[in-house]
Amino acid sequence: MKDKTNKKKKGMTLAMRQNLVGYSFILPNFIGFFIFIFIPVIFSLVLSFSHWDGFTEMEFAGFENFVDIFKDSVFVDSIWQTAYFSIFTVLFSMLASLGLALLLNQKIKARGFFRCALFFPYVASVVAISVVWNAMLQPDYGPVNEFLKFVGISNPPGWLASTDWVIPGLIIVNVWRNMGYFMIIYLAGLQNIDQSLYEAAEIDGAKGWARFRKITWPLLSPSTFFVVMMLIINSFKVFDLVYLMTNGGPGTSSTMISQYIYNQAFISWDYGKSSAAAMILFIIVALLTVFQFKAEKKVVNY
Amino acid sequence: MVKKKNPVGRVLIYVLLIGLTVITLTPLIWMLSSSLKIDSEVFTVPIKWIPDDPQWSNYTKVWEKIPLLTFTWNSVKLTVIITIIQVITSSFAAYGFAKCKFKGRNLLFLLYVATMSIPWQVYMLPQYSLMNTFGLVDTHLGYILMQSFNAFGVFLMRQAFISIPDELLEAARIDGLSEYGIYAKIMLPLSKASITTLVIFTFVTIWNDYMGPMIYFNTETNKTIQLGIRMFIGQYSTEYGLVMAVSVLALLPVLIIFLIGQKQFVQGVASSGIKG
Amino acid sequence: MRKKFARTVAFGLLTTMAATTLLSGCGSSNDGGEGSGSGSDEQVTLTLPVWDSETTPYIADIIEGFEAENPNIKINMVDVAASEYMNKLSVMLNGGADCDIVYIKDADSTPSFAEKGQLEDLTPYIEEDGIDTSKYVSYDDFNLDGKQVALPFKTDYYVLYYNKDIFDAAGVAYPTNDMTWTQWEEMCAQLTSGEGSSKIYGGYLHTWQACVENWAIQDGENTILGPDYSFMKPYYEMALRMQDAGTIMDYSTLKTGNIAYASPFQQGTVATLPMGTWFSSTMIAKKAAGETDVNWGIATLPHPDGVEAGYTVGSTTPMAINANSEHKEEAWEFIKYACGEEGAAAQIATGQMPAYQDDTTLESIAALEGMPEGAAEALATKNIVLDRPIDSSSAEINQMLSEEHSLIMIKEKSIDDVLQEMSDRSKEIQGE
Repeated sequence: MKDKTNKKKKGMTLAMRQNLVGYSFILPNFIGFFIFIFIPVIFSLVLSFSHWDGFTEMEFAGFENFVDIFKDSVFVDSIWQTAYFSIFTVLFSMLASLGLALLLNQKIKARGFFRCALFFPYVASVVAISVVWNAMLQPDYGPVNEFLKFVGISNPPGWLASTDWVIPGLIIVNVWRNMGYFMIIYLAGLQNIDQSLYEAAEIDGAKGWARFRKITWPLLSPSTFFVVMMLIINSFKVFDLVYLMTNGGPGTSSTMISQYIYNQAFISWDYGKSSAAAMILFIIVALLTVFQFKAEKKVVNY
Repeated sequence: MVKKKNPVGRVLIYVLLIGLTVITLTPLIWMLSSSLKIDSEVFTVPIKWIPDDPQWSNYTKVWEKIPLLTFTWNSVKLTVIITIIQVITSSFAAYGFAKCKFKGRNLLFLLYVATMSIPWQVYMLPQYSLMNTFGLVDTHLGYILMQSFNAFGVFLMRQAFISIPDELLEAARIDGLSEYGIYAKIMLPLSKASITTLVIFTFVTIWNDYMGPMIYFNTETNKTIQLGIRMFIGQYSTEYGLVMAVSVLALLPVLIIFLIGQKQFVQGVASSGIKG
Repeated sequence: MRKKFARTVAFGLLTTMAATTLLSGCGSSNDGGEGSGSGSDEQVTLTLPVWDSETTPYIADIIEGFEAENPNIKINMVDVAASEYMNKLSVMLNGGADCDIVYIKDADSTPSFAEKGQLEDLTPYIEEDGIDTSKYVSYDDFNLDGKQVALPFKTDYYVLYYNKDIFDAAGVAYPTNDMTWTQWEEMCAQLTSGEGSSKIYGGYLHTWQACVENWAIQDGENTILGPDYSFMKPYYEMALRMQDAGTIMDYSTLKTGNIAYASPFQQGTVATLPMGTWFSSTMIAKKAAGETDVNWGIATLPHPDGVEAGYTVGSTTPMAINANSEHKEEAWEFIKYACGEEGAAAQIATGQMPAYQDDTTLESIAALEGMPEGAAEALATKNIVLDRPIDSSSAEINQMLSEEHSLIMIKEKSIDDVLQEMSDRSKEIQGE
């Protein structure tokens, strides 16, 4: 491997070399990404400042689309509803998936079966899921309310047939669906923890909770960062599930930003307003992301 | 790791797990039972868990009513190809983002992450026009190109690579390994669990993707299994028994992949590698 | 270094290999049908997006008949799921020449396509071929700014389905073809009996807002565009009254249980069901398949007080030519065939009501095997009001109404409040 050192001397600075190596790694993915995702995204940014019906010529609109959507109470409500939905989805999904991963990382019998069973909700087609959960959450005779009545709650919630309970209902379904998915990420993260650390801790007498707090949790922080980030992004973007389960109803009480975007584009044929709403969604998520990255630098333990 | 010392704790763990599993699987059982019903029996008040007259013929009907074999083959083909491209290119790029220092790295990474937060519905239309100019609409190639390069894979692999200590890389560099060598010989083997994760996720995402194939594929021979499921949902009525039957069938390949993949998540595999 | 090189090459090869196999594979499957004309006229392939091809066999029949008559034209049918059909159609139209024939599922979207200049003006074609336009139902509705942008293909309207056995058991006379909604409500009360899972409901109003609001626009004096919706109040009151009395199933039970109107009727738990004419062919098919043994009948839709019997609500589905198509002449040939006498015959044969009608249409449909007695009289209409007017804001208003509708039906808000809200939102939508 002498040629390597020789090359370095031949005029190329270390920085340039490093740059080239770096670019060479990125390039195969970046070309595809740039053409098929980035360019269309930029185009939709342009759209948010235009009036466009999808076919005829675009007209420059300035901030009109943004002014319009903020005047629309459906949109403003959808921001709050999305935030409400997202906060609890993120929180509960994270806790559930972490708990499951810890449980299923132990040497227990039928581990593969349990993992598989808990992962199933994520795999099943959304169409089937939405139909099934509609029936599960049926207010009068659905299994969920039957169970609640059984444990003594005489007046169980109306779930998807009630403007107050529809979002909690959707959160339950989403957490159910997510937990197996994010359990996998935590499981993968747990693989990266050096076992010798636990052995050392055991010698020091750290057990149970202390061991979790001192070793597992800090060493899982890259996974947690990833999980929280993906949860935020996914729950703010949630579309299929809500679209199929409630289509934003009753009324507009479960209309999320993504559905507003969809309706503007495909029912009102107003791509300008649709893109403007998307930009708002983008800004919200981008701010949360930047905040997360800042926090990552401080908290995440590499 | 729970040692044998505490039998009560162990029993509790099993009880908890079994309870959770039952709750999680209840909807699956409902799905299975509905797949054996005639349409008018699927939704009844109260719920019927065991069909009066199991319609096993639903499972043969679906093969007759739609070209399910072609759809399944297309789904398998697209899913496998996209998963391979996705895993290779995004782990490659992730190494660049995690362990190489170059100009504009952070900016580029920010671009990737930023696009993740934009719902597909937003750039679907421009993307379609672009594909149309390339003549890639209604081709599998077009769909593969559009799905293979998303930011998620890069982000996931970057997180995995970042947690591998730099000292290990330095040692390898001193041993004379090039950056590509480090990627192939050190990073990949150490990130087996994350690669498995990415494989599973990509597989599930593509397998279950509906909107993409819906917008891009016109020809019957190009369509995928998810489009097949929706063929039973009509304008005025839905054949729920058949929808459920196809959904159950569509579950199987993914569960198999998962069963194979999950063996990678065995405690201790990765850590022993680092020390070696 | 050598290893690194080998790896890079291997990687490159793998990717190109994957790409080339795909390219070649897709290229061949893509345009298989074209260019195979065996020496005769130039072969033309027309793309026609459709939905529910499985349950609408007449489309395939029409294509078959057309291709036999025009050997140089092939029809490439693109089957799309009903729920995303309009979405996909607009993407195809925006893409330029992705489709040649535009089969417009939600007819109220016609103006928005026309405004974009995506629909060819059919007037010259119609004049040249001397089409008798008087035979078409709602022909003029598709004349926008003096341009005939589409030709009506099929039509559906609401009628009243009923279960004869329940009537016999309750000793109630079968519904007549001249009945008011008030009479219907009373009739439902008489027919309701039983408790729990064996309960028989006298009536059934499906969860679509159309199944309440349509009765309010049946007189043709108001439309769903409002913007004042107080005319809907009596019908919402009726729906809630019946829901409280238990003569129809609860909205929230139906909605959250995904209960489709077909199931309760086919299981014999519902006595009367106001539903579209499309349901006849479903009933005939299900009965033939042995999935239901309901002894069903059909009557004219009940009407509001002071409105003549035979006024009903419906929708007409048209076909048009993509203005960007490269084969407009051939596309016209197809539309002329599908929307003409031959197409109508093919529809009638499968129980679908065509938009092209003459004196024999109703009788031919009523004579179909499996149709109940007296269907011809029951299907006769005086006037069909369009459920959604052909207007560019119809789709958006319809979405809004479906949102608001649920608030009344689950009793989250009072009728007056919701009607007011509808009115505000409607004005906002149309004010733009």
